[in-house]
Parts: sequence; structure tokens; C-alpha cells
Amino acid sequence: MNLLFALSPLLAVAGGALLLMLAEALGRPAVAEGINAEGLVTDAGAGRAPELAVGSSVVLFCGAIFSIGVWLYGPEKLSGLDAVAPYFIVDRFSLFFSFVVCLGGALATLLGGGYLPEHSIDRTEFFSLVLWASVGAIALSAAGDLLTLFVGLETMSLGVYCMIALRRGSLKASEAALKYFLLGSFAAAVQLFGAGLLYGATGHTDLAGIGKAIRTIGEAGSTVSAPMVLVAMVMSIVGLAFKVGAVPFHMWTPDAYEGAPTPTTTYMAVALKSAAFAILMRVLVLSFGDDRLLSWGTGWPPIVATLAILSMTLGNVVAGRQDSVKRMLAYSSIAHAGYALVGVAAILGSDQAEPSVSFYLLTYTVSTAGAFGALILCGSRGREAVSYEDLAGVGRRHPAAALAFSLFLLSLAGVPPAAGFFGKLYIFTAATEAGLYWLTVLGLLNSAIGAYYYLRVMVYMYMREPVPGAPVAVPMKSSMVNAALIIAAFAVALLGIFPTQALQLAATALP
Amino acid sequence: MNPLAAAIVALWPYALAFVVGAAVPRRQGKGERFAIGLSAVLGVAFLRGLWPGAEAPSEPSIEWPHLLNVIVFLPILGAIAVLFLPRQAPRLLKRFSMAVLLVDFVISLWLLGAPMTEGWHFQYIAEWLPSFGIRYHVAIDGVSLWLVLLTTLSSPLALYVSFGSIQKRTKELCFSFLLLHGAMLGAFVALDLFLFYLFWELVLVPMILIIGIWGGVEKIKAAYKFFLYTMAGSMLMLAAILYLVWSFKQVEGYYTFDYLALRRLVLPDTAAWLCFAGFAIAFLIKVPMWPFHTWLPDAHVQAPTGGSVILAAVMLKLGTYGYLRFCMSLFEGPAWQAGATLAWIALLGGVVYGALCAWRQADIKRLVAYSSVAHLGFVMLGLFSATRSGIEGALLQMVNHGVSTGALFILVGVVYDRRHTRMASEYGGLAKVMPIYAALFVLFTMASIGVPGTNGFVGEYMVIMSTIVSQALGRWATSQAAVAAAGVILAAVYMLSVVQKVFFGPLDNPKNKSLTDVNSREAVALAPLVVMVFIIGFFPKLLLDRMHDSVTGVVGRYVDGRLAYQDHRGRVDTVLEPLLGGPTEAGYPQRPAAPTAPSEAPSVAAILPGAGLEGAP
Repeated sequence: MNLLFALSPLLAVAGGALLLMLAEALGRPAVAEGINAEGLVTDAGAGRAPELAVGSSVVLFCGAIFSIGVWLYGPEKLSGLDAVAPYFIVDRFSLFFSFVVCLGGALATLLGGGYLPEHSIDRTEFFSLVLWASVGAIALSAAGDLLTLFVGLETMSLGVYCMIALRRGSLKASEAALKYFLLGSFAAAVQLFGAGLLYGATGHTDLAGIGKAIRTIGEAGSTVSAPMVLVAMVMSIVGLAFKVGAVPFHMWTPDAYEGAPTPTTTYMAVALKSAAFAILMRVLVLSFGDDRLLSWGTGWPPIVATLAILSMTLGNVVAGRQDSVKRMLAYSSIAHAGYALVGVAAILGSDQAEPSVSFYLLTYTVSTAGAFGALILCGSRGREAVSYEDLAGVGRRHPAAALAFSLFLLSLAGVPPAAGFFGKLYIFTAATEAGLYWLTVLGLLNSAIGAYYYLRVMVYMYMREPVPGAPVAVPMKSSMVNAALIIAAFAVALLGIFPTQALQLAATALP
Repeated sequence: MNPLAAAIVALWPYALAFVVGAAVPRRQGKGERFAIGLSAVLGVAFLRGLWPGAEAPSEPSIEWPHLLNVIVFLPILGAIAVLFLPRQAPRLLKRFSMAVLLVDFVISLWLLGAPMTEGWHFQYIAEWLPSFGIRYHVAIDGVSLWLVLLTTLSSPLALYVSFGSIQKRTKELCFSFLLLHGAMLGAFVALDLFLFYLFWELVLVPMILIIGIWGGVEKIKAAYKFFLYTMAGSMLMLAAILYLVWSFKQVEGYYTFDYLALRRLVLPDTAAWLCFAGFAIAFLIKVPMWPFHTWLPDAHVQAPTGGSVILAAVMLKLGTYGYLRFCMSLFEGPAWQAGATLAWIALLGGVVYGALCAWRQADIKRLVAYSSVAHLGFVMLGLFSATRSGIEGALLQMVNHGVSTGALFILVGVVYDRRHTRMASEYGGLAKVMPIYAALFVLFTMASIGVPGTNGFVGEYMVIMSTIVSQALGRWATSQAAVAAAGVILAAVYMLSVVQKVFFGPLDNPKNKSLTDVNSREAVALAPLVVMVFIIGFFPKLLLDRMHDSVTGVVGRYVDGRLAYQDHRGRVDTVLEPLLGGPTEAGYPQRPAAPTAPSEAPSVAAILPGAGLEGAP
């Protein structure tokens, strides 16, 4: 019983996914089978996107609530976890991230429920794919073993590959999906190779056991080969940095984000990234957390810091040069991965580093999901808002949509007192504490660059009028998109006004 | 005599001011006469409240702790309320926002009731984010008092002027002005570095909206430039704040963002210089000082009249106030050493270069904008001189610049609204068609130049005098004073040349022949500023008395801190030193109590056998 309770977030989402698949396959189609506008055969679930979206978001919200429930009850009080313990770690850290993943997924399905019918993408498998990818993401953030890690990673990724290619008629979507699939498989192979080397070097597949074996390096009688461990460490970091979208492993990000339907982009930007960060921190701390590897001279912090600097700088500079808002948000998500990596590098010398990264990802999740949602809301069928020009004058024509968009952008830019500001504040406090002052200064200067392109969206919305005769983006009407935006806006405001409470939640969630 | 009659007799100066104010202007409507009379009454009340000896409080009075909260949050709540008012009712929106700003002004006059003895007044402290030592801590002293009053006086005037020239998107206008007003006040009274940073950033958003929505042709470029300059500076400041907080934790073992605590830190040499640079760049960008001044002419020229008034009168003062409050008391050593060099930059880059630039401008508004660079150079020079009279002069000059430059921007807006050009060459001989306008312009020109009897004279005189005797400026002090005095002459050159071009000479442009004189709205907005010019010009003691004690304290701490810094500097080690002085001030952040164990997870000690049995037989 304890075990069921402990695993309830994962089981709720998996069970919900099964039910939804059945409902989708067996339910009566709302429209007759035939040929749709794209010249393709319609699906069984065609026309039923709204109900499936509500169903899947309810399932994911249940997952989030179960995560909170177990978190509040206290996973350390649950006996019987030993049965799954080395493979699947139920602790406050993994519960925090399963909450973030479920929240991000729920927002993405709500957005999907509005977006897919509006743009006549009658692909209702989107919802079960989101659910299964979330199962993978939850397993990934709770993985305590290289096998669980790989299974979780692949379950999550396979779902996302398909979600990108939903728009079958679009060449751009196919290109995006193929690119992500090929590069993703390559990264998974690198990650797998690293895992193999680790097993070879230490004889363990569980992360804690690997960490213990690595600590014996240098002691008499140790059989662990240090060079092999170093190579394996670099390979693991590379594999996970790919999922995180850190420069120079970001090549897939802009194309995949731009080509995918926007709800998929939202899901990739929030849930996938959070889960990848969770496992990155878990691996680095549990397996590579000994004194030599957790030091500036001989360990991983300089690698992570380099990734952070490259991601922040390149992400921000290139984002400023984009003409498409969606592509700009893609590059900005690379930059945000850079900020979070600053926090990961700060694990070197600060207790606050891990909670600050967790909190940062929570604020980033609600702000980014909100920003993509507002972008969805600004467009309608055939007139999707993509470029800056499309947004010209939205502030006058549709003040509510523009206000919501501005709120999320200000949060992403880190303007106080929005949630994103506190996320950045905690990250950079931790980095200062760890002695990485130059990383703090670079990160803050980067946020000033970042503020430029977020501001640019607001300038277009409020201060420009569309060129006469140019096609104008007409906001769509969807109660589900509205609901997602309200939830996200509420969370942004709440995390901005009471950041301490959420940070404490994150702070007790050390891996 | 019954009390009612006695009260009426006691109120005679107000009644007289009302009658004179309401009766004298020609060709006005009833409501306008009433408003002019009312502003005359306010002027008299202001004067009487300040009159030395007459009603100036000497006894410590009861200070209502929530007064600053009300002053700061009334406009912010008003801004939120504006969001819920209907867009289709511009009259309601205008009246509501003006009412909020005027009520805020009247409430802020209460601050004059407290004797500004040394220390903090109207202090209010509440825990906000205890785990990071962030508190809501506001208070004023003699330094911030006048800036708060300057803000509460300028904002209603600026908004009132804006209603005359801006007819579109009134709702956003009211929202921006109210939010801007609250945020600026918050920045002046915040004593928690986090709270200060929050308000400092919050100021940006409404100002960008004001420039970007109601600005001129190049408004978007100007808005970007303004935003990026300020943002880059404030990010460096945030990094320095985080370093300070972390250093404090190293020494004392707990987090705090409180100004009172952090100013006791003596940082190692390199760290002190870097943190000083972080703060100083943020503030010098805002002032703005050469070479960071290039955003200012663009922002001023593109902003609507009301925005320019706020920008000049209040927002630039955030930079000078920040330098005085934070740079000069958190990093005394670097500030002292850099002061002598920065003073040259303020003089050559600000006073002289700003004046020369202003001289060459064909656009009157651009000219006034460059004159701000020159005037703020004087203010910074007064701060760098680090003498009591220099800092008092600088503070006075901040208020003066707000009054005279704010008025000049309103006056430039007057002709711009009529002719839609600001080129000096388009005008000429305006004194013939707009006599009152010409008189006002010449009056504020005199105030801006610093003619004796006007407000500008006192401030500039104090700054130049204290530059000569300043210890901090070292051996170049005398030559710096000479250059500053030459700067006053340059001010006369550029201001008088524009007055000559615009108002005198032949009235040869036919478009100017039918220009109407200042209307009642403009007159009402300018009247309080005219009063202020003469109040400060003839009775500067009214203002100086209230800043005296606080400035003495600031200078004393500055000199002490610099000596302590020099003591520590000779050492080889770069370890953090213990703190300066003791935590004796009211409102000093206490060390937080040790965290208690959460109830659901009892600590190990509690469940050990024998715990709680001490003393048992």
C-alpha cells in the first residue's frame, strides 16, 4: 500500500494514459471518416480534441496533486520503498520534479486542446503521447539507476519525436522531427556508451553504487580506473546536455521548436527540460559527487560552467536577432538552460544551489508555458502569430492577450517582482556563495541582453501599429487556452509574491 | 470672539492667497479660477509650514509609522484601480488619477511636521522573505525628505500638463503615471537593498511605456536605448548587492539585505572596488554622467512633455540620490579615492561639455536636455566634494534642477503644442505675441542660470564654495572650483542665446503671429514652480535646516569609513574584516533565531533515551 502511494504520481499518469488511449480508440468519432482539408484520412479521434484535452489535463493535474500529497506526507515515512529503491528513488527531489513535469504537461495539453482544433490538426494521439512522455519524464527524474535513466529518457524522447511530427502535411514539421530524432538518437547513444563505460569501470549500474565505487579511487585495492570514469562522466554530461539544450549541443533546438506545433514546443521547453535537469543534477551529485570530481581543478564544474556561459551568451545574442517570436522563444530557452546550468555549477560550493535550480525550473515552467500560450492565443486558423510584425498593435486590439503576454515576458526577463526574477536571484545568490562571481556577473549582463528581445515583443504589441494591408493576427477564442493562461499567470504572480514558501519546498528536496 | 471667527481670522493668509489667485488671471472660467486659487493656497501653506520659528516643530512629534506606506502604496493601488475603470470615460480616469496624486501630495506634506533630527524617521519594518533576510524597510531622513516632496509635487504637475497635449490612450497614461510615481517614491524611501532594487527596476516599465507610446518620431529607438542603458547598469548593481549580502553572511552568519547592516562591512580592497564600480556605473548611467549620457537627449526629445518633466525632475535624481546614499556609505574608501577623478569627469564631461553641446543645439528641447547634463554635473561635483555644505548644496541643486528644468520642459511643450516644432530658428519675437509666456520663460531661464534671488544661485554657490575647501578633491580643488564657476558663465551663454533667438528680435515668421499665450492649464501647472523658485531663492534655510543633521551624519560616516578602509588596506591578507561600529541604530536587522526543527520530523536529540531527564535522580 505504501508502495502504491509512493508511486501514485507515476501510476496515476500511466493509468490515465491507458484509459485515454482506450477512450480515443474505441470512442465514437465526432466526425465521419473521410478526407480532411489536408487531403489525408481523418482519425478515429477527429473532432474530439477538447474532451481528450480536458481528460488528459485532469490526469496530469491529478499526478501533480499526488506528487504534492506524497511530498507533504513525507516519503521518508513510507516503508516498503526498498522494493524499488535502487531503481526508482521516491524522495522530495523527485517528487518536486514530478510536480513540475505534471504541471508543465497539464498546461501543454490545455494549450493543445485549443490549438489543435483551431489549426485543424486532427491528431488526438497528441494527448496520449503527452501522457506517456510524462510517464517517461517522471521516471527519468526519479531514476536511481542507469537502466531506469535510459528507459525514462527514451520513453520521454520517443513521445516527443512523434509530437513534433503531428502536422503531417508540413515539410517543416517533418524536418524538425527527423532532425531531432537523428540527433537525439546520437545523443542517447553517447549517453548509453557512457553508461556502459561506467558499468565497466565500477561494476555498478545504480548511481549511488557508482558514486561509492568512484570514491575508492586512489585507495589501496581499488580496481576502478580513473581515466575511464572521466571519459564516462564527460559522455554522460554530453548526453544530458543535449536533452537540456545547452550550447554546443543545441543545434536541434531552434528547428525543432519552430517546426513543432506550439503545444509540443511548450512541452519540450518545460517538461522535457525540467526532467533532464533533474537527472543531470542527480547523476552529478550521486555518482560524480566525490571531492575530486566536485572540484574546480579535476572535476565537472568547469565543464558545466563552460556550457552555462556558452548557452547564456549564444542563446541571448542569437535570440535578439530572430524575426520569428517562436524561434526567439526557442533561443531564449537555450539561454535559460544556461542560467540554470550556472546554478548546477554552483553545487561546487553552495547548499543553496540545488534548491535554487529546482525553484528556477518551476518559475521557468510557468513563465514559458504562459508565454507560448499567449503566443497561441494571439493567432487563429491560417493566421498564426509567428513574427514580430504579426503582433503589432495587439496591445490596442486585444488588451487582455497582450497583458498576459507582457506578464510572462517580464517574468522571463527577470523584472521584479515577477516569479522569474526570484528564480534568477536565487541562482545568482548561490553562484556568488560558491565563489563564481564572474559567472554571476556574466549571467546578469546576459539578462540585460535578454531583456532587449523580451521588450521588443512588448514594443511591437503596444507601440507599433500593423503596416496597412498586411495580414493581421486575429486572436483565437478558446476557453482551454484561457484556462491555461490564467493558471500560469496565477502561478507567476504567486511565486513572485511568496517566493520563500516555494523555495522552501525546493530546499527540502535535496537529492 | 467665538472659535469659528478665530479660526477664520487665523486662516486669513490662505483666504487672501485664494482671492488673489482666483481674481488676478484674466479670461478664465470658474473652475480654472478655483484651481489657480487652490494652488496659491497650497503655496502659502507650504511657505507657512516651513517658516523658521513660526511653526517649525522642535519637539519630537509622534510619527505615524504607516505614513510612508500610505505615500508609496496609494499611487500603486491607484494604478491598479485605474485598470478597472472604463476606458470610455477619460474624464473619470483623469479626475481619479489627479485626485490620487493630489491626495498623495497633501499627505506627503505631513512629513514636514517632523523635525529632521539625525537618524531615521517614519520608519516602518516588516519581515518579507525571512529566509533570505529580505525585509520591507522604509524610512526617510533629511536627505530623502526633499526628494520625496519633489516627487509628490512634480508628478501631479506633469500629469496635468500631459492631459493638455495627450488625448489618446488615457487609461494607459494614467496607469503609467501612477505606477511610476509610486515606484519612484519607493526607491527614495527604501532602506533594504532588495526593496530598493525592486523599485528601481519597477520605475523602468512605466517610463518605457510613456516614451514608447506617446513619444515622438524616433520614440522606439529612444525607449530601447533608455531601457538597455539602465538595465545593464542595474544588473551590475544586482551582482554587487549579492556579493555584499554574501560577504555579510561570511562575517555575521546570517543573510540580510538591510542597508543599515551592510554599510558596516569593510570589504577587501579588490572586492570593494569592484562592488563600488557595480553600484557607481548603475547610478552614473542614471544621472547621467559622461560618457553614459547619450541616452538622455534621445529620451528627453522623444518623450512627451509630461514624461520629460518626470524624467528631468525626479528620475535623474534617483542616480544622484543613489550615489549619495549607497556608493558613499557602502564603499567609503573607493568612493573617496575615485571622487577626485570623477569630479573632473563631472566637470569636463558634464558641466563644460554638456554646456557646449547645449549651446550648439538647434532644437530647444534638446538644448534643455543637455543643460540637464550640465546641471547634474554640478550636483555630482557637490557630492564628490564630500563637505557638509557641498552635499547640502548638491541636495538643494537636485530640487532646484527639478523645479527649473521641469518648468522649462513644460514651457517648451507649450510652443510645441501650438506649432509642432521645437527648432529655435522657427521662432523669433515671441515676446510680442506671448508676453506672459516670455516672462515665465525668462524667469525660469534665470533660475536655471543661477541668478541671485532665484533658487539656482544658492545651490551653485554652495557647491562652488565647498569645492574650494574640499579635502576629498585634493590639490586640484581650487582649479576645479574655477572650472565650475566658468560653467555657470557657459550656462548663461547657452540659455540667454536661446532666449534671445526665440523671444526677441523681429517677429518675421507669419505662422507665429497668431500664437495664443499660455492657457489656464499651463498656468496652473507652472504657478507652484514659480512659487518654489522664489521660496528656495530667498529662504534656502527652510530646506537646508531640515537636511542639516542628516547630512552631518552622512559626512561623518563617510570620513570615518574611509579611515577604517585605509587602516585595513595596508594588510596583506584579503580576508573579510570585522564590521565597523556597532548595531545600535533603530531598525537594525537582528540575527534570526535558530531554526526550530519541523514538528513532523523530531530532532535526534529529542528521541534519544534520557533526553529531558537532566537533573533527575
